[in-house]
Amino acid sequence: MKSDRYQELKHASQLHQEPDWLTAQRLNAFDLIGQLKLPHMQRFAYENWPLTKQRNLVWQDSKEQMLDKQSTANLIQIGETKVQRKFDPRLDKKGVIFADLFAVLKSRPELIKNYLMKQVIKYEENKLTAYHMAYMNCGYVLYLPSNCVINKPIEVDLVQDCTNKNAWIPHILIIAEKGSQVKIVQHLKTIGNEPNTANMVMEVVAKANSHIEISSLEELNKNTLFYFNRRANIAENAHVEWAIGLMNNCDTVGDLDSELIGEGSYANSKAIAITSGKQKVGFNNRVTNRGLHTTGLINQRGVLLDSSKLIFDGIGQIVHGAHGSNADQKNRVLMMSDEAKGDANPLLLIDENDVIAAHAASVGPVDKMQMYYLMSRGISYAKAQRLVIRGFLGAVIDAIPAKNVRQNMIDILERKLIREQNKQH
Amino acid sequence: MSILEVKNLHVEVEDTEKKVRKEILKGVNLTIKTGEIHAIMGPNGTGKSTLSETIMGNPHYYVTQGNILIDGESILKMTVDERARKGLFLAMQYPAEIQGVTNVEFLRAAINARRPKDKPVPVTDFLNDLDQNLNLLDMSESMTERYLNQGFSGGEKKRNEILQMLMIKPKFGVLDEIDSGLDIDALKVVSRGINAMRSSSFGALMITHYQRLLNYVVPDVVHVMMDGRIVKDGTSELAKKLEDEGYAGLRDELGLHIKLTDED
Repeated sequence: MKSDRYQELKHASQLHQEPDWLTAQRLNAFDLIGQLKLPHMQRFAYENWPLTKQRNLVWQDSKEQMLDKQSTANLIQIGETKVQRKFDPRLDKKGVIFADLFAVLKSRPELIKNYLMKQVIKYEENKLTAYHMAYMNCGYVLYLPSNCVINKPIEVDLVQDCTNKNAWIPHILIIAEKGSQVKIVQHLKTIGNEPNTANMVMEVVAKANSHIEISSLEELNKNTLFYFNRRANIAENAHVEWAIGLMNNCDTVGDLDSELIGEGSYANSKAIAITSGKQKVGFNNRVTNRGLHTTGLINQRGVLLDSSKLIFDGIGQIVHGAHGSNADQKNRVLMMSDEAKGDANPLLLIDENDVIAAHAASVGPVDKMQMYYLMSRGISYAKAQRLVIRGFLGAVIDAIPAKNVRQNMIDILERKLIREQNKQH
Repeated sequence: MSILEVKNLHVEVEDTEKKVRKEILKGVNLTIKTGEIHAIMGPNGTGKSTLSETIMGNPHYYVTQGNILIDGESILKMTVDERARKGLFLAMQYPAEIQGVTNVEFLRAAINARRPKDKPVPVTDFLNDLDQNLNLLDMSESMTERYLNQGFSGGEKKRNEILQMLMIKPKFGVLDEIDSGLDIDALKVVSRGINAMRSSSFGALMITHYQRLLNYVVPDVVHVMMDGRIVKDGTSELAKKLEDEGYAGLRDELGLHIKLTDED
């Protein structure tokens, strides 16, 4: 006898006219939610967070929440609603697929069926991936045919609609065929103040010789509870770069994974996080060298304010057989308050001999000489502090491809820091 | 006219390894008026940099006696940024590098720090001034979009210090070894920048080991510092004499019993 919730989910999926295989996959995942464990985070307790409590599969219309400010983004989704798509029609003609997830489910069902939580991130991995599969309600797909090169960064705004109670569960699927190249810039934000779960899964398939750069600017509301899982499977000589800016105000737990599967593949995983108030953020940044001569780099920076907590683990693993591989990571954490608790743990797991591995970690206060220099030009303590923090985060800010997006990231950072500084005085 | 006065200044620094404080300045007296260019010369280790850092308010230096005043008002209790807004500028020997903050943004922040919040410097005025000063210092426009001192050569950093001074227009510029590490062409450019500041509303204190800088920026007064005190004042002729005879010669002439740091 199946539960009411099971029947409700089945009904919702059918009502949404989803293919049978998807309904079945959702229901399989549903059954696993209760059986699977939460993903493991070292020294970060979040067992009591209600990450799988919201169990409704509904599609709300958020059109009227359309932000008044014109965004230049190529795709804007608010809640479950697509509100804008501006895309070069020549790219459509070339066979690029770039659209709302459920639109692609209708136009190219086999593509979704082939990949959706089956190859890169499997829904049966843990409790939160199972929950994601069961209740996924929005997202987008980007598919690049072989040798398709897109120079201009593709910008996507994903807006969590918290004017109502509804979990926000976006799924993002990026498939880059052989030799293709693309840059993606995501911007995550929240409207409204209802407390809601956000559960985002991003799957990236980087086929041979492809080149993908993904940056993400995130500023979700403090009433949100955020889980994310982003992973790239990287084939031979493919190249993936991440630049993730976690400037959210919410409690967050997440995984960022780069799987270096093919020979000569390359990943550079950069992330920054800024935590404030009583915020708690636990985050694994993992690069796994599996193929021969692979290169995996991790560079992450964290800034902690108030009594926030940030656990920032960098995990570099070189598995047996990955001869001639290279793993390097830098983790640095800047403590702006004595009450903050932070750790940047570099973990290197090496099962091979002829490899190069290095790591560096540091936890420290603001650079006094930089502060002195800026203040000697008349700049106030508060402003100097913000500039020094930005300097500390520079390596990741720099990795963002478009100047306007970099500026946007700086603006978000300034806003968050000014808000915190004002609270202290 | 403004006056910067240093009165009987005693300063200690902490030896971070031994955790003991050591007196570096042992009673310095100095008066600089706007419109004047002063130079302080002296052998290594006599406290020249200590003096400039203490005037600016570097927290590594402890004032144990004496006072520093601008127009009669003591600045000792002021924070570094307050001192800067009172009209002080220190061209540093080792400017900090800050990634992620462009030169131009930094300059604008420094200028706006001196203005009311709702009246930032008009963009066209700022850019015109910037263009003019870049020209004066043979600096390319691309410098302004680079991150603050990040990856700058020694010479570029020095030029950038002078550029900031030209843009900020302080009442008093303290230039700590602005000539060190400069080749002759760069020295001429930097000197041109300093000379462009010369006016009745600007005073400077240049700290240098060598007389060479003073050929390009001719000082009104030259002070010689030894062992934490100013031991002799003179004109630019004094600097030339020192170049010929060395500091040991002057010390012996003055009958001082001081061991110079680099003396065997």
